[in-house]
Amino acid sequence: MIQPDPQPETLIVIGIFLVSYILLLVRKTLQAKLDLYDLFHLSMVAVLPAAFVFFPRLAYAASDLTGVAFPFVLLYGSLFLVVFIFMHRLSVQNHRLQQRTRVLVQELGLLREEMLRTKDPVSAPARGE
Amino acid sequence: MVSSNEVNVLEAPVLVMVPCYNESGAVAGVLRDVHELGDHHASLVIDDGSSDDTFGVASQLSPAVRLVDNLGIGGAVQTAIKYAHREGYGFCVQIDGDGQHPAGELATLRRAYAEEPANILIGSRYIEDEGFQSSAARRLGSRIIGAWLGLLFGQRITDSTSGLRLMDADAIRFFAHAYPYDFPEPISIAWALRHGLTVREVPVRMRERHHGSSSITGPKTIAYMIRVMGYIALARLERVQENRMRRARL
Repeated sequence: MIQPDPQPETLIVIGIFLVSYILLLVRKTLQAKLDLYDLFHLSMVAVLPAAFVFFPRLAYAASDLTGVAFPFVLLYGSLFLVVFIFMHRLSVQNHRLQQRTRVLVQELGLLREEMLRTKDPVSAPARGE
Repeated sequence: MVSSNEVNVLEAPVLVMVPCYNESGAVAGVLRDVHELGDHHASLVIDDGSSDDTFGVASQLSPAVRLVDNLGIGGAVQTAIKYAHREGYGFCVQIDGDGQHPAGELATLRRAYAEEPANILIGSRYIEDEGFQSSAARRLGSRIIGAWLGLLFGQRITDSTSGLRLMDADAIRFFAHAYPYDFPEPISIAWALRHGLTVREVPVRMRERHHGSSSITGPKTIAYMIRVMGYIALARLERVQENRMRRARL
């Protein structure tokens, strides 16, 4: 199987993308807009293609090892796995945040009612025993 | 599991929970009906983030909780259940703010509890087929869900989507801790049965809603059925969580 070395232009483009994207992610992480897990998962979008471009022989070896005919299939598979894990984590986080928001909305409403009742005890309903 | 039957339901204070969403035109009538029931009934309106003056109208007539965002019927009802739990009510009744549930039927539920207690008493419009009966499609949906509950939990429920229900202290404790947010009526039955609470139905009459319309129409009906039946199946698969029950007993 032919294993051509990557063209210099390809290396430059991918290298620029890798460095600039990682720098962007690090900056966002330092600004507390992302956490370390986000940094790791999102950086894979640049790191994985870069690894395949910079180390083509390693990519072919990995595809041979896994029994995948073409390295790019392995690349897309790896990216899909990373994205899937990221989305899984986002879904769990989203669900947890929804639950917390619901509880906060409920507690805010109950607290407000209690405050109004304390101010105006005449309107209070008959208490339970 | 029924342990609250030592309390005399005919004399104990009952919290009447009235969840509302844009029901400014109907809620006053519902509250007046509740007030006519007498001193044993205290009402609490949960305004589920209405964009009209539901809270303004309701708060003139009853204690009311305004939720700053729309949580859906499950979130609104659980807010009222939490209130009942914290204020020490032994019983609470849910009636809809759209006027569909005649307040007079609360007495039917109380009498039925006094005769044969159950942790949750559901007012069913389909046992005696009297009063407002809903559309054929809705009735079919309710039958399918009822049959699904019967298949998975061994108890057939004729009106699983009825919002008219009485809960005793055990049910209040349980649902204050966990209550389904989406399509809560049938799913809450499944949760209750799974965790050992007793559920019984009582024939009641209902009216056509005075205001508003159902949010479940057209293709949403299919999504509703799939979700509800899925959640009921999940409830059956769920291991009875001792922790959940223990926390609920606190």
